[in-house]
Amino acid sequence: MEARGSTWVVIAAYKEGKVIRDVVREVVHEGWSVVVVDDGSPDDTAAAATVPGAHVVRHPINLGQGAALQTGIEFAIRQGAEALVTFDADGQHDAACIPALVAALDGADIALGSRFLGKEIEGASSRRIALLKTATMVSNGLSGMRLTDAHCGFRAFRAAAASKLTITQDRMAHASELLRKLKTSKLRVVEVPVTVRYTEHSMSKGQGGLQAVRILFDYFFRA
Amino acid sequence: MIIRILLLTGLVGIGWFVFLRRNRLPFHIMTVFGLLAAGVVAVMAPETTDDVARFVGVGRGADLVTYLAIIVVFFVLVHYYSKFVELQRKLTELAREIAIMRAESKPPPKHEP
Repeated sequence: MEARGSTWVVIAAYKEGKVIRDVVREVVHEGWSVVVVDDGSPDDTAAAATVPGAHVVRHPINLGQGAALQTGIEFAIRQGAEALVTFDADGQHDAACIPALVAALDGADIALGSRFLGKEIEGASSRRIALLKTATMVSNGLSGMRLTDAHCGFRAFRAAAASKLTITQDRMAHASELLRKLKTSKLRVVEVPVTVRYTEHSMSKGQGGLQAVRILFDYFFRA
Repeated sequence: MIIRILLLTGLVGIGWFVFLRRNRLPFHIMTVFGLLAAGVVAVMAPETTDDVARFVGVGRGADLVTYLAIIVVFFVLVHYYSKFVELQRKLTELAREIAIMRAESKPPPKHEP
């Protein structure tokens, strides 16, 4: 599935004015189609993301990461995307890992990036790793899936699979929502090792233990 | 008694508010007025609630009124929460359509000759 023009990289961004330009440039440079969804940021995220070759859509109000990803996915599908990749806006993900995820779609409908399949996690504290592993256990328990990493935002979908997995969790519970829908969908899922670079910037935007409570609330009581 | 005046004022106030907004919801309005009428009876003749309470197996009329009020409050909460979630979903869809309609893009860089 290595047709880079018809593979759309969806980047959901909120207040990423400082780093988004380099992230988008890197992905565009590799030849992928790119749509950046600015989730109603108060800063200059949308302007900074407008680099030649990238599409930018802008939520008129802030809705949350799940909603932004879904907007990007719908936009890409309307543009004729055959495959979709979700990619973080904060520079955590490495564009060099995209081909492996897309290649995995040859034998699957969805390829989930995993931070715990062999490769090192750069810059993550042991506390962070413990949190991620706990969250994965909870999500696996809720969904009945058996994954090594449930919340990595680095994923690839065939367009047909993405259309079946509409995200209705506007905020952060979308990752758990996805697993639940995967479990009942009979779509073929594979995990692919990806490298994630934690920087001070990306850590400041990551989820902490307290947010986990809110995510669980959303998961059970919303949508 | 002052409490009667306060309670009746509240009930009449709610009734007036509902009356002002009476458009095309006869069932809704009748239900509200029925409840308000029951409220007036309970205020003017509290003994009646005692009779009803004993009939359904509750000791005192005031207790029965409290239990019913709690149930009604929870019902209203759940009702409005589900409306809120639904409204949020519609808002998301609307914002999404606006975002996609206003999409902007710069043409890809020209290849060097």
